[in-house]
Amino acid sequence: MLLDARDLHVEFHTRDGIAHAVNGVGYAVDAGQTLAVLGESGSGKSVTAQAVMGILDTPPGRITQGRILFRGRDLLTLKGEERRRIRGTEMAMIFQDALSALNPVMTVGDQLGEMFVVHRGMSRKDARARAVELMERVRIPAAAQRVRDYPHQFSGGMRQRIMIAMALALEPALIIADEPTTALDVTVQAQVMDLLADLQREYRMGLILITHDLGVVADVADRIAVMYAGRIVETAPVHDLYKAPAHPYTRGLLDSIPRLDHKGRQLYAIKGLPPNLTHIPPGCSFHPRCPMARDVCRTDEPPLYEVSETRGSACHFWRECLDG
Amino acid sequence: MAEPILEVSGLVKHYPLTRGVLFKKQIGAVKAVDGVDFTLAQGETLGIVGESGCGKSTVARLLCGLERPTAGTITFKGEDITRLSGKALKAVRRNIQMVFQDPYTSLNPRMTVGDIIGEPYDIHPEAAPKGDRRRRVQELLDVVGLDPEYINRYPHQFSGGQRQRIGIARGLALRPEIIVADEPVSALDVSIQAQVVNLLARLQTEFDLSYLFIAHDLSIVRHISDRVAVMYLGRIVETGRDSEIYDHPTHPYTQALLSAVPVPDPDAREHRERIILTGDVPSPADIPSGCRFRTRCWKAQERCVVEVPALAVPAAFRDAAGPAAHPSACHFAEEKQVVPPEESRLNGNGPG
Repeated sequence: MLLDARDLHVEFHTRDGIAHAVNGVGYAVDAGQTLAVLGESGSGKSVTAQAVMGILDTPPGRITQGRILFRGRDLLTLKGEERRRIRGTEMAMIFQDALSALNPVMTVGDQLGEMFVVHRGMSRKDARARAVELMERVRIPAAAQRVRDYPHQFSGGMRQRIMIAMALALEPALIIADEPTTALDVTVQAQVMDLLADLQREYRMGLILITHDLGVVADVADRIAVMYAGRIVETAPVHDLYKAPAHPYTRGLLDSIPRLDHKGRQLYAIKGLPPNLTHIPPGCSFHPRCPMARDVCRTDEPPLYEVSETRGSACHFWRECLDG
Repeated sequence: MAEPILEVSGLVKHYPLTRGVLFKKQIGAVKAVDGVDFTLAQGETLGIVGESGCGKSTVARLLCGLERPTAGTITFKGEDITRLSGKALKAVRRNIQMVFQDPYTSLNPRMTVGDIIGEPYDIHPEAAPKGDRRRRVQELLDVVGLDPEYINRYPHQFSGGQRQRIGIARGLALRPEIIVADEPVSALDVSIQAQVVNLLARLQTEFDLSYLFIAHDLSIVRHISDRVAVMYLGRIVETGRDSEIYDHPTHPYTQALLSAVPVPDPDAREHRERIILTGDVPSPADIPSGCRFRTRCWKAQERCVVEVPALAVPAAFRDAAGPAAHPSACHFAEEKQVVPPEESRLNGNGPG
């Protein structure tokens, strides 16, 4: 296994108390595989990724428990310098907002080239040549001229390509993409997702795709982990999950999206709001919003039950849910 | 169909680009809206879709009188409202209200919910007598599904979905006939989106509202709209009833747009044709000659460079009365099914 995160707990100290952002999350991804982590705002999907990547703000954040095994080594026990080396060369991250992730006062060529200068000890001239190569890889037209441009001179889609180029520069084994296409228009989103999928196949990278979009997941992922209130509530191969969800939250999400192919009368709506992370409900955290909730759900926190060899569901009544 | 309540014709909004500080010289214009026509019937929902920069939000602002059009007319119930000013404009504005995209920035953080929803009554005092306002506001809170007791709370005490409900309540305060909703749910989480979309649908029947629903999410637009207009670079390129646009699109841009929407069905991955457009949308300050979509179109030919295609039913479909016979601004319009038919669907209709 390329990456294997186990029983991860992250909390934040806030004015209103301790926010339990991640409460025992575990997921794994292998080389050449795409894992989608699906969740709404506040589900802990980005915080988990930041913990894996080692870019969590501490304080206020704190990893209280868990292990993150990357190629068999626990990242949480590594020293700062070593962790930094792995973060730079073996794993990389793509962010949602390319404009704020890129340095506005450096040309894109210098930013891409910097990777080679710092990590590979290349001369500036060689690094520049590699930067142009990379820009061609991510299909930026007229790369040789545009390498001298600044981020603001590119369109949103092109900037996202530059971010992808930067993530790919040192050919990492793992890429974490946090909502990489959310800020883009649909036609551009399709271009960028296509590119990402092609490159992933070519380099046989592991990809963790963090998103809230069930459509994007269906398009590219192999496996999916659905998060709610800092826990994984369901995990499954993508085809199985869309065919028959084994958790009422997943089912509710699938039913609440309007379809492109027909016009419904009324959308199914999950009632209520996601919980406040400083006061997560006891028992199953989804029970106040769940149409299937019973007494046991209010008191006993469901473990991630094994639905099949490849599937898990954190619902006491997953069998019922699976049957519809 | 009934008499249109709103009629827009030849609507244009250009923002001048100038050079020089003292002696300003116009060197060009950002053609945000560049000749848009449509009608809206009583009780109907017209959806406008398009990518960023296509001018859909500018259309919304023009309709609400937040911007003055460069040319063209907006007719509300037979009266041209584009040149109105003063009292007459104010009276018309009561009837066309707006719901904004971002529930975080469109509500004043220093005002209570009661003051926010009641503010329209300060501007239009004839709408509600002073002593009656508090009760009216509480009624509105109830109508949009919020506890009337919350009247003294501040926006930060609410979640995104609840704030959007507050924005909707404010839009309803003057009992308008038309609501212009500009991306009303795109800032919300999936599970909350459905709640707000359902609320908008319920209010429409309850108050006999006409909606202009602007969004970039094609699925939501289909769900809520009776008719749909697709915009590209300041113009409508295709318009028709929802099934005409989604199941029988004839304009290449609409087809590309629809094919690019990720469908929540992993089985569709294999047997779905994707049209991946190359390049980016051109700048609205420098619109291509002829057909404005030609720079990204795989069908473009000589004719597209010189001749602007009109928004009309294409000649090929004019005689057939089928669903493909709807206005499409393309010289080479042809039908193409890009959204896979419904049979391949597997999901049921909600839990339990």
